[in-house]
Amino acid sequence: MTESVVLETRELTVQFGGLLALCDVSIDCHRGQLTGLIGPNGAGKTTLIDAVTGFVRATGQVFLEGEEISALPPHRRAHRGLTRTWQSMELFDDISVRANLEVASRRLTFAGGLRDFFGGRRVVDERARWALEVLDLMDVAERKPRELSQGQRKLVGVARALAGGPNLLLLDEPAAGLDQTATVRLASQLRGLIDLGHTILLVDHDMSLVLRVCERIHVIEFGRLIASGTPEEIRADSVVIRAYLGSSGSRA
Amino acid sequence: MILGIGAGAIIAALGIGLVLTYRSSGVINFAVGAVATYSAYVYSSLRTAGTYPIPPLPNPLAIAGGPSLPTSVRFGSSVAETPAIAMALATAALIGLLLHLLVFRPLRYAPVLGKIVAAIGVMIVLQSVVLLRFGAQARQVEAILPTTPVRAFGATVPADRFVLLGLVSVTTAVLWLVFKYTRFGIATRAAAENERSVTLLGFSADWQAGTNWVLACTLAGLVGILVVPITGLTPNLLTLLVIPALGAALLGGFSSFVIAAGAGVGFGMVESLLLIMQQRLAWMPKLDLVDALPFIVIALAMIMRGRALPSRGAVQTRNLPDAYASGMSFRAFIVLVLCVVAAAIFLPFDFRNGVTVSLIGAILCLSLVVVTGFVGQISLAQMALAGIAAFGIGSFVQNAGLPFALGFVLAVVAAVGFGLVVALPSLRTRGANLAIITLASAVAIQYLLFERTGWFGVSALGRKSVPPPEILGLYFGPSTRFPIGDSKIPQPGFGIFVVLVTAACCLVVTALRRSHLGERMLAVRANEHAAAAAGVNVRVIKLTAFGIAAGLAGAAGALRAVQLGTYSPGSFDVLASVSLLVVAYLGGISTVSGALVAGSLFTQGFWTVVTDRFTNFGTYQTYVLGLALLVTLVTVPEGLDAYHREVGRALKRRWRRPEPPAVVHEKP
Amino acid sequence: MSQRILDFQDVDAGYGGVAVVRNLTLFVDAGEVVALIGPNGAGKTTTLMTVSGFAEVLRGTVRVLGRPLPKLRRAHLIGRWGVHHVPEQRGIFYGLTVEENLRLATRHGRVDLDRAASYFPVLESLMSRRAGLLSGGEQQMLALGRALLSEPRLLMVDEMSLGLAPIICEELLPIVRRMADETGAGVLIVEQHADLALEQADRAYLLSHGDLVFDGPASTLRDDRGFLDATYLGLGGGEESAP
Repeated sequence: MTESVVLETRELTVQFGGLLALCDVSIDCHRGQLTGLIGPNGAGKTTLIDAVTGFVRATGQVFLEGEEISALPPHRRAHRGLTRTWQSMELFDDISVRANLEVASRRLTFAGGLRDFFGGRRVVDERARWALEVLDLMDVAERKPRELSQGQRKLVGVARALAGGPNLLLLDEPAAGLDQTATVRLASQLRGLIDLGHTILLVDHDMSLVLRVCERIHVIEFGRLIASGTPEEIRADSVVIRAYLGSSGSRA
Repeated sequence: MILGIGAGAIIAALGIGLVLTYRSSGVINFAVGAVATYSAYVYSSLRTAGTYPIPPLPNPLAIAGGPSLPTSVRFGSSVAETPAIAMALATAALIGLLLHLLVFRPLRYAPVLGKIVAAIGVMIVLQSVVLLRFGAQARQVEAILPTTPVRAFGATVPADRFVLLGLVSVTTAVLWLVFKYTRFGIATRAAAENERSVTLLGFSADWQAGTNWVLACTLAGLVGILVVPITGLTPNLLTLLVIPALGAALLGGFSSFVIAAGAGVGFGMVESLLLIMQQRLAWMPKLDLVDALPFIVIALAMIMRGRALPSRGAVQTRNLPDAYASGMSFRAFIVLVLCVVAAAIFLPFDFRNGVTVSLIGAILCLSLVVVTGFVGQISLAQMALAGIAAFGIGSFVQNAGLPFALGFVLAVVAAVGFGLVVALPSLRTRGANLAIITLASAVAIQYLLFERTGWFGVSALGRKSVPPPEILGLYFGPSTRFPIGDSKIPQPGFGIFVVLVTAACCLVVTALRRSHLGERMLAVRANEHAAAAAGVNVRVIKLTAFGIAAGLAGAAGALRAVQLGTYSPGSFDVLASVSLLVVAYLGGISTVSGALVAGSLFTQGFWTVVTDRFTNFGTYQTYVLGLALLVTLVTVPEGLDAYHREVGRALKRRWRRPEPPAVVHEKP
Repeated sequence: MSQRILDFQDVDAGYGGVAVVRNLTLFVDAGEVVALIGPNGAGKTTTLMTVSGFAEVLRGTVRVLGRPLPKLRRAHLIGRWGVHHVPEQRGIFYGLTVEENLRLATRHGRVDLDRAASYFPVLESLMSRRAGLLSGGEQQMLALGRALLSEPRLLMVDEMSLGLAPIICEELLPIVRRMADETGAGVLIVEQHADLALEQADRAYLLSHGDLVFDGPASTLRDDRGFLDATYLGLGGGEESAP
């Protein structure tokens, strides 16, 4: 059982000044599964991702493939196979889509640097190339991210994380700002990645998307984990409904 | 110690002005000292000659050699003290208003770099106006404050020092009260936190910023007028006091008036204390500790505070200019290099010199392209790093007798070493903060190294020399006779060497931009967090960039040394460092072609020579350059290079040339 | 008939020329509480930002107290007309004390403490505390107290429940209702937590993906949960949601 756990957090707590942004959150992601993390706006979803990837100071522990990574800086966590996307994408706007991916897929080596300086035309890195193909971005590989549509930019963000060769892919609100058709397309692409054997933690506030595509779901509210389970269990959970619609007072 | 009160009061007042402007508009007003200087000159000319100078030029048509226009208004032979003060203060207030309306309001959403460059541009414009208008020689100004000697703590000090101190204390107290208790002050503090929310409450953040600009400039003007009777009036004195004032403001986190004022006064006192100790105590090192004080204090402040300046909650910000990869083919590049070599041989001597100066300038700008254009870190120390190499090559070749090539390489290596040290703060801080720290490093390098004798300093005579360069028995100094062309100096040999070094530097930076390392640098520039999440070690990238940039600056510095033959610290001083950023930004800070454009704009560079031939524009070079910078910043925030690109694209469209085909991937 | 405070007629509004809300017709009268609800990304916040001058009107007309909106550059004027907008992040200044925050909203800088305390007794003991050190609920009370002291004709509250426990919202919403009743201000509240808002509102507008899908009495939506759940949870055409 344990070897199937890719990511595990134990009592992760984040404090901003007087505000408790995350309180004792323990979640896990299993290999080959699409795990969902949902919660209303401001519930602490992004804070959780930041804590897992090392961008905010947190107490508690984070394990990746059974090894504790709580003390590592962000880029070392990325090297270990923990890659993420950002809510506002944060693409590198000055370089091509291909280069965006290669920043994540290639390592900086002295020999490679010299080859770049003196060797003429470059060959696209294998992993970057694969990520471009999987997400159907080959046609725009040499374009700059800002020339692309919103949906394509989202995909570039996912592709960049994929190119990093992840053990676990953390997706922060990939559907935000997408229209209905683009969301449906994204959902099927995510399922496609799972079929290829990837493990994904999908963070979103869009209930319908998460309920539709995830195998397991964690729900947080006010920085605390309030429910975990399958989509069916979550759908029927009165605490979750309350969190989403306010008090369920008048009708149950 | 009491003797330092006067200087301390000035630094404190300028520091308060810096804090005031930063809190209300997020601009670090490097020009605050220059505003004080200009107001003082206005006052002095009203008092001594009864004339009010009409800014900005002695004669606006002088550039084209046209007829003279009235350049000042006369009020009899002299204006009385009170109206003269009033008019000078009104001038300072007007400068503040114009700066807000014409420069900094349009730049509200500009990146930090744009604002810093604009503030430096304003400083350069004001300073060149002062030089053109009033000349460089010092003036004496009649005292305004009482100068009766007062005995205090065992020293005799004129009373005006205490009046100044009192004035600064009162101003600080008033500002503190205003910001604490009035609705205006509270709203200004609120706007610094979140502009949009203040607007929702019915405040105009714009109006607030304008008011504070006027206040800060009037305060600076007042200090200028009151202080020059003590210090004497020179174009540089007050302008450069902005550096310790920046230190004081930084200590106060650019938000506390009280700490900034206290630190300013403290600076003055410690300064005079150090002077006295150096005179009395034989064992005290005779360092220019006094001048390096700002650096030491800023370094301490950084360690103590260790956090970035509070960033303003502005609505949105624009990005740095695009860093295009060069589209030029290698063949075209070789042709271009050959053309420039030909120019360096066959052009008349003054053009030959202009080309050399411009190319060395271009290498300097390339160093900023790497560190600022590619990685987004603002460095105001590149000229100081060039100076390290310049003084280094003098020591290595002239004094130690090493061969030229080895000396050149060692000088560049030394510059890289210092560059890495200067880069260390960039690991913890960025933006405006880093700019101030690198500026302080430049000050420290200038006073602790260049102006003292030593490996990276002057020789006993206050200068340094380097012999004509020689590689494998081939001499190519600026005055070594070259087989082709006329006999005037500079001879083409050295020019050709400079062309080749510049070409190599251009190739390196172009290759860097295209390489994977360059892509990682641009990733860091776009977003440090996202880059780290993609596995980029941000620290390594920053240090690498600073190292490469320092190497480029070092190469330029060594070339400059050879070109000058004999040189003094003035060629590599803080003002030169600061101007370098301005010129580089004007040309285009993110591209190789931008650096070349910027190089041509250097003083005594190519454009100076061209315009000198046809107009008497040369004297106005700095002034026009500063103005051009401000206009460019406001209209084309990306710099001239981006503008040329736009024009080029428009022309292309008109000629209906097909777009170049997209790059095709090789299948592995 | 009571005065019309806010009036949208066939409005497309958004940012950078791209419409986020389309074809919106909406009004708020003096003394009534109107709820603007809908799932995330529906365009609720954009609607409020349009009134405050931070989003562009691309088509149609928006009138506040009978006046057309000023240009973007002069957005601060809208605040002076008596429109008070409590934005999503509450718009309070963490570096200022509670009292300083309240003073910013008053016309002459005098804080009518009694008045604020009559609605929010907690604030009285917190006057000299920095707003950044308040709890989430206290911050929201401060934001609403500031709104009260500005004596608004139109009060807009964006996502009051954000980051707050539902129980606190349940306390705060009736106070907003009371402000509308006692001062005669028109109130427009934006909420994701629909049930809370609907309990206090007179009328409601339901937005989904930028389009108005319902407008009418709040009680209608209160009674038709199936419609609301379907819109929120995106359960499709209603076949999965029990009627």
